[in-house]
Parts: sequence; structure tokens; C-alpha cells
Amino acid sequence: MSIQQLLNGVSLGSVYALIAVGFALVFNILKFSNFAHGGVMTLTAYIGLAAALFFSTWLSGLSLFAVTLLSAALAGALVGIVLERMAFRRIRNNNSPVIYYFISSITMGILMENIVTIFASSTFYSYPRFFELTVVNIAHVNIALTDLLMLVFSSVALMILLWVLYRTRIGLAIRALSFDVNTANLMGMDSNRVVMATFIAAGILGGIAGVFLGINYTLYPQLGQLIVKGFIASVIGGLGSITGAMIGAVLLGVLEVTLIGAVGAGIAPVFVFIVMLVFLLVRPRGISGIIVQEKA
Amino acid sequence: MEYIFAVLTFTGITVIGVLGSYLVTGLTGLFSFGQAAFFSVGAYTSVVLVKNLDVPFLLAVPAAMATGLLAGFLVGYPTVRLRRDYISLVTFGFGEAIIALLNNSVNLTGGAMGLSGIPQYTNFAVVWGSVAVCLTLVVGYKYSKYGRQCLALRADELAAKAMGINVNRIKLVTFLFAAAMTSYAGVLYAFYTTYVEPGAFGWIVSAEWIIIVFVGGINSLTGSVFATILLTGLPEMLRFASEWRVAVYCVIVLLIINYRPIGIFGEFELTFKWLRQLGKKGVKVS
Repeated sequence: MSIQQLLNGVSLGSVYALIAVGFALVFNILKFSNFAHGGVMTLTAYIGLAAALFFSTWLSGLSLFAVTLLSAALAGALVGIVLERMAFRRIRNNNSPVIYYFISSITMGILMENIVTIFASSTFYSYPRFFELTVVNIAHVNIALTDLLMLVFSSVALMILLWVLYRTRIGLAIRALSFDVNTANLMGMDSNRVVMATFIAAGILGGIAGVFLGINYTLYPQLGQLIVKGFIASVIGGLGSITGAMIGAVLLGVLEVTLIGAVGAGIAPVFVFIVMLVFLLVRPRGISGIIVQEKA
Repeated sequence: MEYIFAVLTFTGITVIGVLGSYLVTGLTGLFSFGQAAFFSVGAYTSVVLVKNLDVPFLLAVPAAMATGLLAGFLVGYPTVRLRRDYISLVTFGFGEAIIALLNNSVNLTGGAMGLSGIPQYTNFAVVWGSVAVCLTLVVGYKYSKYGRQCLALRADELAAKAMGINVNRIKLVTFLFAAAMTSYAGVLYAFYTTYVEPGAFGWIVSAEWIIIVFVGGINSLTGSVFATILLTGLPEMLRFASEWRVAVYCVIVLLIINYRPIGIFGEFELTFKWLRQLGKKGVKVS
């Protein structure tokens, strides 16, 4: 495998990492797989497009790109808040079983996809071109500029997230809550606020991921189904582990680029699925080795 | 009149699919996003057998169900041992993989163009006869040892294990039962529409079936059947709001989950006993 392919794989993997981490954050706290995350990505990708078209009269190049990302991230945060209030707050207060979170998140995912379909129709859109230059040449390796930016921005976003999680008060609260909700409540923590913060963080990551996916592929209402990449990355990395999800995502990205090179883009998902199945058979706890136990 | 019959036939096919989802989700508490993929496995296997290999239809049906079983085993065996989330993730991936496979083996499946010109072997009577048979099987399953064990492990897996229930085996058996039944529904579908294409079997279809189970009431088989007729039959006949249909579904489901978590029918089952009591004392729903 050439360095070229490796680089492409890593930059694709960095976007998958954004998805996987946004998904793992919520999983950590509420212990369920948040299928609504795909809907968040779709919605924010469209909002990002709207922002890009709106601001393109004044800005261009890198500043336009940054503004697009920023507005998508803000929209993601907002969607996260709405999502938590509408779909999960009441269920949490009712102490409903996990399956209700599940069905609620699926429903929200489908609802968001449908809202996009109704308002933007199911035609394909694409982001405007942000840069004149499309390929950069670093040490004889060509890398598409958008791939490079994807890699840089995703890494920065993930670094910031890690910093927030491990160096701030709210991060400490999130980690405490993911460890044990009841004890955290007894210690006088406002779990509603912390859960809200988690959804905001997940929403921001979803927003950034949405824009990148939109740039990388085209924009269509079913874009959110790429969430499955985030799932697979999480399975490889270990469900619920943030760093595991990142590692799994990068591995998945490299694997996918290699497979596309070897067997073609169409059939690659089949092989990725088989790899995941084998992984589940051999090492179900994933790379990180943490397994989340069903609460007794 | 013909149109209404067609709608009712499709509703019947959906009822069988939903029964599969009821087994997996309602009874066992697993979420399978691959039910529609089993549906497509059944449909494509039977069509390829009949069209390309000239296998008689009656022989193709069990072959299709066997293929569905095999696929179910491949997906189910590694995953039932794990947390429940995995089964949704893996079945989701399975669904995507099946669609990719169907889209890419153009020689056999026609790719994204699909296969057309399938002889129409099923009709209204066959479909609803099958519904009756499947319903009887599922009712029997629910009240058998297996069904009760499913309910026990849905409520609390650890407690079920402690009572000596082989949780993994029960999960796998239920999953396979549902896979075979859904494949059969796929056969009915293919030989009724006379046309199959991969686009019709995405995970949204599986999710819709799960939603139907929830709207009807997760504990009520009656609820599942009625909710299917309500949610698929009616909108077909009142096509005008088709764009908003799914959005409206979602809002209804959210309302039900938040304000009436047991679903429309709750624990209620339509039984002969209830009907007899109705005859004697008038309506009294507990």
C-alpha cells in the first residue's frame, strides 16, 4: 500500500472518528446506541450548505469554509438541545427501559431525515467549491486539499473534545455520570445539565462531520446513513470508549480505502461487514478491551 | 375494487414482516434493522431459483426460507452472545451489505435495475391464508415455553439466566424463526409485484416495522396486527398526504413513547375468551 493511499485512508478515518466519537459520547452516558445521530448529521449538513451559499457573497476560500463549519457546528449544538428535550428528557425521568431510548432515537433519526426530504426534496446537492487549488503536493505525495483540511479540522475538534473531557469541570461531570448516574446524582450533580452538555458536544461533532460528509460525497437526505461507519468504527474500537472509537475509525478508513482500491467501491461494504463480523467473533470487546455490562 | 385488493394484499405481506419484528423486538427486546434484508434474501433467492434455474415455485419457497435461515444464522450466531446493541448494529450492517451485494452482482440480480417479469403466483387469498398460518404460529410461540422465556429475558437478562434459561439459545431461536418468516414474506412480495429491486429493502423498512410494533403496543400481538393495518393500509388509500406520512408516523410514535409507553393496545389481546365475556357482560377492557 502506498503512502498516498494511507494518507487518504487516514483523512477519511478522521471523519469517521468524528461520527464515532459523537456516537460514543451519548452511548457512554445513557448506555444506548444513538441512531438519531445520523439525522443530526443530515440536518446540519444541509444547514451548512445553506450557510455556505448565504455567506458566499461576502466571503471565500478558507474563511468561508470556516464559517460554514462554524454554523453547522452551532446548528448541531442546537439540534442536540432540541433532541434531548424532545426525545429523551421525559423517558429519562420516567426511568423507562433502554429499548425506549432506542426507539425514540430511531424515530428522531427518521423524522429528521424526513424533514430534510420535505423541505429540500430528495434531489442531490453539492457544496460550492471552496478553493481554487484542489491538490497539494507534500514531499511528492499528492493529497486533495479538502482531505487535508478534513484531517486537520477533525483532529483539532477531537483534541478540543479530549481537552474538555479530561481537563474541565464539565468534562469531569460527564465522566462521572457515565460511570454511575445514581451516585453522581447523590453527590448533588444536576444530571439534566450534564446530559444536555453531552448532547451539545455530540451535536457539534455531528455538525462538523455532516459538512465533511457533504463535501466528500454529495448532499442527499439519506446522508445520515453513513452513521453505520461510526457504528462499525465503535465496534472495532470498543463500544463506549472514546479513544477506542478514534483508533477504530482511522483503521476503518484505511481499510476502506484499501478495499476500494482492491475490489472496487461497490462491493467494499460487503467486505467491511465481514471484517466486522469476524471482529465480533474473535474480540467482541474491541481494541480498547472495555466491555459495558448490562446493568443488573 | 382491484386496487383495494392490491392494497390489502400488500398490507397482508407487511403483517407477516411485522410479525417477524414482533418476535424479535416485542417478545425478545432485540432490535433488528436487518428484517428487510431477510425479506430481500427471500425475494431474490426464490426469484433467481424460479427464473434462472426453472425450479418449481413450491420448491423455491422452502429453499428461500432456508437461505434466510442460513443468513440469519451467520448474522445471529456471533451477535446474540453480546450486548443487545450489537444486534442492531450488526443487522444494520448486514442490511447495507446485502443491498451492496444485490447492486453489484448484476449478472444474477440485475443490479440496481432489479428483476422484472416474475410470474405472479401469489394473490390475495394466498397472502391472507399465509397471514393466518403465520399468526397462528406466532401466537403458539408466544404462549409456548419459548415465548415465556423470551419475555423473561426481555425484562431482565441476568435474572433469566439465574432461573436457568439459556438466554443465547432462546435469542438465536427467536431470531431464526423471525428470519425464516420474513424471508417467506419476501417470496410472497416478489411473486405478487412481479418486480424486485434492491432499493425497496433499506433499513428504513425494518425501522418502520419496529415502529409499528411499538405503536400497537410492545406486549400485544393484536396491537401489532391492527397497527399494521392502520399504518400501512389507510395511508395507501388516502394517498394525498404521502409526503408527510412518515413524519406524522414519527410524531405519533414519539407521543406514544413519551405519554403512553405501553402502546395503543397495552397488554390487551383479542381472544375468544374476551369475545365470550363481551357477549355476556358488554365491553370491559382491563
